[in-house]
Amino acid sequence: MKEPAISAVAGDTEQLERAYIDASTRVPVLMFYTSAMAWLILGTLLAGFVSFKLHSPDLLSDVSFLTWGRVRPAHMNVMVYGWASMAGMGTAIWLMARLCRTVLRYPLLLVAGAGFWNLGVLLGVGGILLGDSTGYQWLEFPGYAAIILFVAYTLVASWAVLMFRYRRGEQIYITQWYLLGAFLWFPWLYAAGQLMLFVVPVQGVLQSAVGWWYANNLLFLWFGAIALGTAYYMIPKVIGRPVYSYHLATIGFWSYALFSSWTGMQRLVDGPFPAWMITASIAATILTMIPVATVGLNHHMTMQGYFPLMRYSPTLRFTVFGAMSYTVFSVVGVLISLRSVARYVNFTQASIAYSHLGLYAFFTMVIFGSMYYIVPRLIGREWRYASLIKLHFWASAYGIGLMTLMLLAGGFLQGSSMEDPSLTFSESVETVLPYLRGRSLAGLLLTASHFIFAYHFGLMLLGLGRTSTVPTFLNPVEAEASGGH
Amino acid sequence: MKGLAPLFFGIFGTFAFSWLGLTVIPNWQIGHLNPQSDEEGTDIYPQPQSGMFERGAHVYAANGCIYCHSQQVRADYAAADIERKWGNRRSAPRDYIFERSVFLGKMRMGQDIANIGARAPAEPASPAPAGAAAPQASPSGGTSPAASAAPQGGAPAAFPAAPGGSPAASPSSPTPKAPAPASKAPLSSPSPSAIANASPATSPSPAAGAPWPVQTAGEPPMYSPAWHHVHLYSPRSINVDSNMPSYRFLYEKHRIRDARSADALQLTGSDALPEGWEIVPSFDAKCLVAYLMSLNQSHPLKEVRSVGGAPAAPAPPVGLPPASPAPSK
Repeated sequence: MKEPAISAVAGDTEQLERAYIDASTRVPVLMFYTSAMAWLILGTLLAGFVSFKLHSPDLLSDVSFLTWGRVRPAHMNVMVYGWASMAGMGTAIWLMARLCRTVLRYPLLLVAGAGFWNLGVLLGVGGILLGDSTGYQWLEFPGYAAIILFVAYTLVASWAVLMFRYRRGEQIYITQWYLLGAFLWFPWLYAAGQLMLFVVPVQGVLQSAVGWWYANNLLFLWFGAIALGTAYYMIPKVIGRPVYSYHLATIGFWSYALFSSWTGMQRLVDGPFPAWMITASIAATILTMIPVATVGLNHHMTMQGYFPLMRYSPTLRFTVFGAMSYTVFSVVGVLISLRSVARYVNFTQASIAYSHLGLYAFFTMVIFGSMYYIVPRLIGREWRYASLIKLHFWASAYGIGLMTLMLLAGGFLQGSSMEDPSLTFSESVETVLPYLRGRSLAGLLLTASHFIFAYHFGLMLLGLGRTSTVPTFLNPVEAEASGGH
Repeated sequence: MKGLAPLFFGIFGTFAFSWLGLTVIPNWQIGHLNPQSDEEGTDIYPQPQSGMFERGAHVYAANGCIYCHSQQVRADYAAADIERKWGNRRSAPRDYIFERSVFLGKMRMGQDIANIGARAPAEPASPAPAGAAAPQASPSGGTSPAASAAPQGGAPAAFPAAPGGSPAASPSSPTPKAPAPASKAPLSSPSPSAIANASPATSPSPAAGAPWPVQTAGEPPMYSPAWHHVHLYSPRSINVDSNMPSYRFLYEKHRIRDARSADALQLTGSDALPEGWEIVPSFDAKCLVAYLMSLNQSHPLKEVRSVGGAPAAPAPPVGLPPASPAPSK
C-alpha cells in the first residue's frame, strides 16, 4: 500500500513482481470466477421464477421440482454457495497472493477445491429440487452435499494457511485480517451448524437458534469479512493513497468480530426463547454501529478529495457503492431489530430486504468491483466496452435499490396489517402483493445487469478484451484526473 | 498489526465467545427440557410423535412450507398473534422438545400454523356438510371421525385411510394396518385431561370475527384432514384470494375401479373430475396432513399464561348451517 515515494526502478521491479504473482493466480482464480458467474446466471433465473410465482402461484405448480417452496431455497443456496462464496473465494485467493507478496503455491489444492465446491453445490441444489431440503435457512443442502462442500472448503482453507507461512514482509495488512478471519471462521461456523443441527441435533427450539446464529454469522463473518477486506484493498489501491487510519481500522476489525458474531437471535424477537438471548443479539446489533462508524469513517477519509475518480474507475464505483451499502445494511439491521419495529416487520418481506442489502448491495457490489480490477490482470486484456460496465452498474444499482425499497415498504405495510386484527389475514397478503410486483420489476433489472456482466466476462475469457496498457475507464479521462484503474 | 499470534488468538477468541454465548450456554439452559406432567404423573405434554409425523415433517421441509408459514405464537403483549386466534398462549421452548426439525419460520405469507391441528373440528362430523359432493364416501361418513378421537394429533394420521377405504394407490395396506401408525403413538388413547382439553365444542364459538375462512358450503369441515387435502390440492377452490401454490404433485389421479376410494378428494367447481375418475392423496400427502393435524400447542404449560383458559378456538361446529361463501380468509 505504500504507493508514493518509490524510485522508478524500484517501482518497475515491484510492478514486475506483481505481474508475476498475478499470473500465478490465473488458473485457480479464473476457475472460481467462471464457476461463480455460471451460478450467478442460474441463481438469477431461479430468482425471477420465485419472484413471479409469489404473485402468480399457479405458474407451473404441477411439477414437483418447480414448486415455489423448492425453487426458493434452490435460488438462495445457488446465490449463497454458488455465486457469492465462489466469487468471494476467488477474490480472496487473489488478494492473499498479492498481500503475502509471493507467487501462488499449491495451485492444485485450489483447483481441486473449486471442483469439489462446484460438485457440492450441484448435488445440494439438485437435492433441494428433488425434495431433500433440510428446511433450515441457508443450510438446506442435504448431508451428502454438505460433506463435499466441507471437503472443498478444507482444501481452500489449508491453502490459505500455507500461503500465510510463505508470506514476505512483517506487516500484515488490514485486508489480511479480514480474510484470515473469514477463512478461519467459516469452517467452525459450518461445522458447528452441521453438527448441532444434523449430526448431534440440539433439542427443540435450539435448532432454530443455531440456524439463525449460523445464517447471520455466515452473512457477517464470511461474506461481510471478505467484502470489507476487499474494500480495504481496492479503495486505497485505485486512488493510490494509503488508508486514512490504521488505528481506526484496528478498532473497526475487532469490534466487528466481537459484536457482529453475537447477532442472529434478534430475528426471532418474542419467539419461544429465553429473553436474554434475543436481548443480547439486539444489543450486539446496536453495537455493530461501532465498526460501521469506524470503517465508514476510515473509507470516507481515505476517499476524501478523490470521489470524482468514481467517474472513471469501474472498480472504485462498484466498491464505494458496496462500502456505502454496508452502512445502510447495518442501519436497517438495527432498525428492524428494535422490539417496537420488529413487532411489525418480523414475519414480513422486510427480512428479505435485509438479506438482499447484505448479500447484494454490500457484498456482491464489492465483489463486482474487485472482478473489474482483477480479471484484466489475469487475462492480460482490458474490458472491452465501457458502456457495458456502465449499464451493468446502473442496472445493478437501480435494481437493488428498487428491490430494497419495495420489500422494506411492502414488508412494513404487510406487518401493520397483520398486527391489526380487525383486518383479515389475507388482507395483509394483498397489501404486499403490489410491492412484490415491483420487486419482480427490480428483479428484471438485476437479471439484465447479470447477463450484461456475464457476456462481458465471457468476452474476456475468450481473449476478446482490448489489448491496451490503459485500463478501461467509464468516461474519457481528462489529462489531470488520471487515477489507477 | 504485527505478528500472527494475536491475530489468530483474537479471531478464535471472538468467535468462541459468540459460539459459547449463543449456542452452548442456551443448550445448557433449555437444551434438556422434559415434558411436563401433573402430580400423578399423567397428563403428559408434549408427547413423542408417530413415524407418519416425522415423514410429514420431512415433506413439509422438502416443499418449503416454512418459507411462508411460521409455527410460533408470540405473547399477547408483543403482537396480535393471539388476537388473531393463532393460539391461546405464546409458544414456549417446551412445546418443541420432541420435534426433530423445528420449523419456527420467519415469514407469514401464509398464516401461523402452530395450532392448526387444534382448529380441527372436534365433534364427529355430521356426515359431510350439506351439499357435499361425496355421495360415495366411505361408510364412516367420509369426513372426520378420526379427527375427533385425538385432539392432540396422532390419530388423525390414520384418517385418510379410514377403515373401509382401500386406497388403491397408497402404499399403506387396507383396513387392518391402516391405523397402525397412529396406534403406535401414545396419543391415540386420550388421557382424561386430553379429553377435558378436547372440549372445544363447548367453548364459546369463535365464529364471529374469526380471522380464518368461515366454513364454505360444499367443502369438508374446515381444518379437518379432508379439508387440508382439498386445500393442498387446490387452495383457490377454498379461498379465492389465497396465494398458496397448489401441491397437485402430492396427489394421484386414477380411474375409479369398483367404488370410489374412501380418501378421494371432494372436489367441486372447476376442479371437479369427469365421471369415473378420482384424486387420492399420495402417502406423502397423508403424512403431511398427519403432521399438520398434530400441530397443537393448546395444552396449557405451567411456564406461560394461557388466554381465557380455553384451548385454541376450533372451527365452527360443523352442524351449523354453512355460512355464506367466505369472501376471504
